[in-house]
Amino acid sequence: MPPSDAIDIALLKEAADWAIAFQYEAPTPAQRQAFAQWRDRSPAHAAAWARAQGVFNTFGQVPADIGKTALQQLERSHGRRRGLHVLGLLLVAAPVGWLAWRHARPWAADVHTATGERRTLTLPDGSQLVLGTASAVDIAFGAAARRIRLVAGEILVTTHADPAPAARPFLVDTASGVVRALGTRFGVRQQEEGGFRVAVYESAVEIQPLAGPARTLRAGQQARFGATGVDAPAPVDNTDALWTQGMLLAKDMRLGDVVAELARHRPGVLRCDGAVAGLRVSGAISLDDTDAGLAALAQSLPLRVVYQTRYWVTVEAR
Amino acid sequence: MPDNEHALRQQGIEGLYIDHHGWLQAWLRRRLGNAFDAADLAHDTFVRVMASQCTQWGREPRALLTHIAKGLVIDHWRRQEVEAAYLDAIARLPAPHTPSPQARLLAIEALVRIDAMLASLPPFTREVFLLAQLDGLTLQQIAERTQKPAITVRRHIHKALVACMALD
Repeated sequence: MPPSDAIDIALLKEAADWAIAFQYEAPTPAQRQAFAQWRDRSPAHAAAWARAQGVFNTFGQVPADIGKTALQQLERSHGRRRGLHVLGLLLVAAPVGWLAWRHARPWAADVHTATGERRTLTLPDGSQLVLGTASAVDIAFGAAARRIRLVAGEILVTTHADPAPAARPFLVDTASGVVRALGTRFGVRQQEEGGFRVAVYESAVEIQPLAGPARTLRAGQQARFGATGVDAPAPVDNTDALWTQGMLLAKDMRLGDVVAELARHRPGVLRCDGAVAGLRVSGAISLDDTDAGLAALAQSLPLRVVYQTRYWVTVEAR
Repeated sequence: MPDNEHALRQQGIEGLYIDHHGWLQAWLRRRLGNAFDAADLAHDTFVRVMASQCTQWGREPRALLTHIAKGLVIDHWRRQEVEAAYLDAIARLPAPHTPSPQARLLAIEALVRIDAMLASLPPFTREVFLLAQLDGLTLQQIAERTQKPAITVRRHIHKALVACMALD
């Protein structure tokens, strides 16, 4: 084996060691610090860690019951007998037992998306989490609470009733405060100007700023909040969550705002000239293919899209 | 160096494509029994050749193409099996629970990867890893269930995790 491969495997082993420690062994603050130093030692260390996370994420995308049934069937179809007896034992276990095990599952993962990427995860409790472009979350499901920490960007959460015997609260931690789900579908997005915007599509959520009074938002409401308080709620449209389908539905929106939204979904610089920023836009615009989105805008409005390079694009008057 | 080999190298990937794409697609069609998948896999085969940056096909370029194509056919069948197993599993769910098309696609992709990751693991390692990853059992719970010391369980999880990480 060439030396470079040998180093790689050694790093993978170290990364796997840390991953197991984080998943099962409740590391101390000192260990966490040691881990951070280890991970930051080189890009190869960070890449090895990302691989470990990738494996956990892959398993996280398959609901446990479906995954087990499907894998068992595959096992049978291949005539491989291995693995069956232990799984068979588990299948006849009482449902209450299942719930208790899932409840006890310690879960720690860092998940992130690149610019223009979008990702849907099924969380251990069956809740669904969609990460928007350039977003990052930590997932920490413990015995007392289901916690998501929004580190950057935007998420849409559709909560699922907690399968644990004693339902745990579902919380989204942000730098400005905590958003508590009250059985619901909602989005949280980091704002460029600071703070976060919460939009509620179903049921309700409670926002608890770090240092300010809590406020409950109902379905159809959205509000920005910072560390000291929650702004007055404004109406929200169900179509706002269409970003999860890769689409922006503009209704009489400023072109400047539309272009800013497209810019979040593509690498490089995308600017809108001030002369056309006030134009009004209505229609469906693709966020997955921002070039197509820009072309559609240029077709319906008096503007042109100038590509200096793929990564430097300006929208200006025709 | 024989003249024909030299000529082949000169032709590059375009020549390979022109000379053998039709033949490869027909070969795949016989194996797969349908033209759409055959066209897809023929395309994928040439993409693999390009990605490999291999410029010497040797005297038997068709042997290289079928070697790559056979691997893709096996992946294709396996993927269909995974898809069927997944659909079967969601059909058997007790509660009314229909994942969205997007969720299905993600879960199937993930299952294909999991299936590939697990293939190389010894039976006991695989069992332990599934108990940890899918059932979310703790080391202690797995130790009780398998009647093995927790340290052994940890070693198997570590081994499985490293094997999975090394895969892609």
